[in-house]
Amino acid sequence: MTQTSIQKMSVDELVDNFSASALRQFEAELENSVARQNKCVEEQMAIAAELKTRPGDQRAALLELYNHPNVQVRLNAARLSLAVAPTAAREVIQAVKESKQYPQAMDAGMCLWTLEQGILKPT
Amino acid sequence: MQIIELEAERLRSLRALVAGTLRLKWLRAATRFEIAAHRHGLALKYGYDPAQPRVPRGKPDGGQWTDAGGGTSRGDRRSPGLIRLAGEIPTGDSPEIPKKRPAKSKDRTKAKKTAARLLGQVGSTVEMVGAIAKLGAWLQTCSAEIESYRDTPKSLEELQRGASTPKPGYDIHHIVERNQKVYFTRETINSPDNLVLVPRLRHQEINAWYQTKNPDFGGKSPRDYLDGRSWAVQRAVGLQALIDAGVLKP
Repeated sequence: MTQTSIQKMSVDELVDNFSASALRQFEAELENSVARQNKCVEEQMAIAAELKTRPGDQRAALLELYNHPNVQVRLNAARLSLAVAPTAAREVIQAVKESKQYPQAMDAGMCLWTLEQGILKPT
Repeated sequence: MQIIELEAERLRSLRALVAGTLRLKWLRAATRFEIAAHRHGLALKYGYDPAQPRVPRGKPDGGQWTDAGGGTSRGDRRSPGLIRLAGEIPTGDSPEIPKKRPAKSKDRTKAKKTAARLLGQVGSTVEMVGAIAKLGAWLQTCSAEIESYRDTPKSLEELQRGASTPKPGYDIHHIVERNQKVYFTRETINSPDNLVLVPRLRHQEINAWYQTKNPDFGGKSPRDYLDGRSWAVQRAVGLQALIDAGVLKP
């Protein structure tokens, strides 16, 4: 997935690619592959950045993924749409933390902590 | 032997129940979403546009549309036919655990993690050993790691005390990471205050979290974000990571 190909995608396609990338990240975590996880995170950040540039900031399209069955997809979608849906996104992240589905629960807990500490400032 | 079989059966039933419930929830959400999408589509079809100008209140035609601009041509608005739900109908997050030892290391790792996460629900150690045997006899070689994953959170003092007596299934973890030796002395990094004994698979999860790029840290990995920061900051992150990993009592 290149920057150019991302720019040509519709919002629907970007959301689909986002969830597919988060699912690949879920698999990569199970297989202890940090390199593949990093690639997936980069992809999702690039998609979120592209959605932000679309008219009206289309990151709200990620809200469709808040009920996705996979915990990694829910967490990443919420985290990368915090700026456009702060309350709903926080609820999803809090729910992932409380689910005790590790390691995503740990990641969710740290996400909330970075928000409290001011390390993460959603824009 | 009977207890083992019963436990394995209980686990299978539990997984089937969880998967079934998840599927029902998904179907309910999917149906509600599709109804909403259909209504939205109908509204667009009949030209509704909340941004279309209206005659101001107080005028004879107050509230009426002023032109026929309602509609379907705004930027990225999706036509109803394109609205569809992301993902497939779920069957649960846990992959199957192979009965035979997988040839590839990554497949063994995946099975080991899945077993540990699944067996976190099992009650006693005896039950867990039986369940491991039922899931895949080859997993018995890593039963210490799987069993330690079920540990409940401990106090910092307990975890620090444990570091002086390593045992199978556990690793010594540095609260402020070892790779920070450039900024802090070896003695400080390896001091008893900075060492804790943690379940090996939790240790791997924490290490992976430190190494993985993260939007919460400006897209850097937490390790890169912390590089060169003060001892206090690094220790605060390290302790919070232990809490959120389910190792340290809050």
